[in-house]
Amino acid sequence: MSLDIKREYDETEGRWNVTLCGEVDIENAACLRAALKEMLEQRLSSVEIDIQNLSYIDSTGLGVLIGAYGRMKESGAQFRLRRPAKNVEKLLRITSLDRIFL
Amino acid sequence: MGDVLKFYVPGKPEYVSTVRMVVSSLANAAGFDVESIEDIKVAVSEACTNVVCHGMPDGNSYEVFCEIGDGLLRISVTDQAGGCDMEKYRCPDLDCPKEGGLGLFIIRTLMDEVDIFSELGRGTKIQMIKYRPK
Repeated sequence: MSLDIKREYDETEGRWNVTLCGEVDIENAACLRAALKEMLEQRLSSVEIDIQNLSYIDSTGLGVLIGAYGRMKESGAQFRLRRPAKNVEKLLRITSLDRIFL
Repeated sequence: MGDVLKFYVPGKPEYVSTVRMVVSSLANAAGFDVESIEDIKVAVSEACTNVVCHGMPDGNSYEVFCEIGDGLLRISVTDQAGGCDMEKYRCPDLDCPKEGGLGLFIIRTLMDEVDIFSELGRGTKIQMIKYRPK
């Protein structure tokens, strides 16, 4: 099981563009947490995460996203997920996280 | 009793994905559709994550029991990790999401029947049933 995290800062939009590929679970959620923390320490800007190729995320991974969202909310920056696969969208829907992330 | 598959898993994060693969494969073999297989996979994975997160001492093993019944799949995840007081469990407030506490909620939402037995000082058993759509 693997997770590939790509990130770049879009100077024009003033936003982090992130792409997640693979699976996020209890084994590697800490890597995602560390990557988001590092990005937001560099620049506390909006974040847009393309999850088209994220085939699986568990509650640990969702917790990491909720944590990052919580930290950013106060600064007024946006935190968005884009293009979830059907199964991931279902998980976001049943946890009502679609209302804040999509 | 239907066909049974029972195995023991070290209580370490790196083995949760192995359980996920096993139950997906089993649900597929039992004739479940793609969406149900995904539900089972997510729910069982959450049950295992729960065990690993809430402390298996020294990476002790927990048990995953799967039974293919008539039109259903019954899976239980049983640990000896000391148990918890289920009366203290609160459903997550979905209007105010927090980092933890979603696992059991997800399991209850995705599976048709869920029973949790926990004994303080002993361990916890999460039993889940998914019915095969007709």
